[in-house]
Amino acid sequence: MAITLKQMLEEGAERLSLQVIAGERYLSNKLPETAMNRPGLALTGFFQYFAQRRLQIFGLAEFTYLKSLSEKEKRKRLTELFEKQIPGIVITRNRQPTKEMLELAEQFKVPVLRTSMITMRFVNDCTVFLEELTAPHERIQGTMMEIMGIGVLLRGAPGIGKSETALSLIERGYCLVSDDVTEIRKNSRGQILCTASEITRYHMEIRGLGIIHVPSLFGVAAIRREAELDMVIDLYPPSGSEDRTGVEPATVNVLGVFVPCITLPVRSGRDMANIVEVAALNQKLKELGHDAAKELDERVINRLTKGRIRHG
Amino acid sequence: MAEAKTISKKFKVLNEYGIHARPAALLVQTAGKFESDIVIEKDGNQVSCKSIMGLMTLEGYKGSMLGVTAAGADAAEAMKEIEELFASKFYED
Repeated sequence: MAITLKQMLEEGAERLSLQVIAGERYLSNKLPETAMNRPGLALTGFFQYFAQRRLQIFGLAEFTYLKSLSEKEKRKRLTELFEKQIPGIVITRNRQPTKEMLELAEQFKVPVLRTSMITMRFVNDCTVFLEELTAPHERIQGTMMEIMGIGVLLRGAPGIGKSETALSLIERGYCLVSDDVTEIRKNSRGQILCTASEITRYHMEIRGLGIIHVPSLFGVAAIRREAELDMVIDLYPPSGSEDRTGVEPATVNVLGVFVPCITLPVRSGRDMANIVEVAALNQKLKELGHDAAKELDERVINRLTKGRIRHG
Repeated sequence: MAEAKTISKKFKVLNEYGIHARPAALLVQTAGKFESDIVIEKDGNQVSCKSIMGLMTLEGYKGSMLGVTAAGADAAEAMKEIEELFASKFYED
């Protein structure tokens, strides 16, 4: 799903100090590759492997090189470049575009943008920005907590006690990421990152109390802006069919990543925060390579099969 | 409520790995559906059929005999389902 230059500008014009200086009508151009290219080699006339699907960045080096060319040669090379149907051009350091660039922008329908940033900063920031912008993301129902470095998403029907459980966990010294609505996105390394939605961030709704602001009540140590999703815990009314051993762990598909998932029955009087805390600890142990359920099962099986001779 | 009954039966463990975590969980889940008290006995050790940890300590290896006793109003139904689990090798192998 390619984004357009327009989307990129809407979200990032401020952050990347971008402004449009030519070809404003063609901002609906798609950006097929969310990467940048410095067209230095192309300007010398070498177009093999030219990354024409990327944003072309004109920095100090490109401009200095263009200056060394004759007027005729300059126009010829730039025309060749624009002809390649490049999605757009970004000029860094707030430099003035050459008059050829402005003409060619209209002729070949290529928007020309400009930033006050220096090239290196712009390329770095824009790469990160584009990755964030194009990362798969979703808004899901659930309360996100970080417990001893383990990101736990609590899900369950409204009223089952997600926020109450989260509150108990906060009181135990763990961190709230988001209450009830969580924004998730997948980064390029396949990690699922969870944040709160901007408006309601760090607020919770507790039945009977109303809305509370967590850092005001519990301090800034009780909050985290973002956490990686390590496990999902579904809170359910007891059904009698819940997993009793943990030998065959379940997973849920979150944006294409399989995340460990456990189902916890909620009974009145059961200390859910304590159980969620232990679940997170157990997950941490598993990530370190110790799966208690599996190890015990293997020990039992070993005894029941190989140890049979002793039983006669 | 029907009259409380006590039923006892002996079952042979048929699956290769014996009563390990998965079969134990199946037994606990099945027993948990019933009101009756259900206990399993082997070599003089008796544990509740509703306790995973208890079942795993029984050492119910393949070929061993386990005695199941169910006491309560729904003892007969419980026994029937437990018998099915043993007969079907706990859906293993």
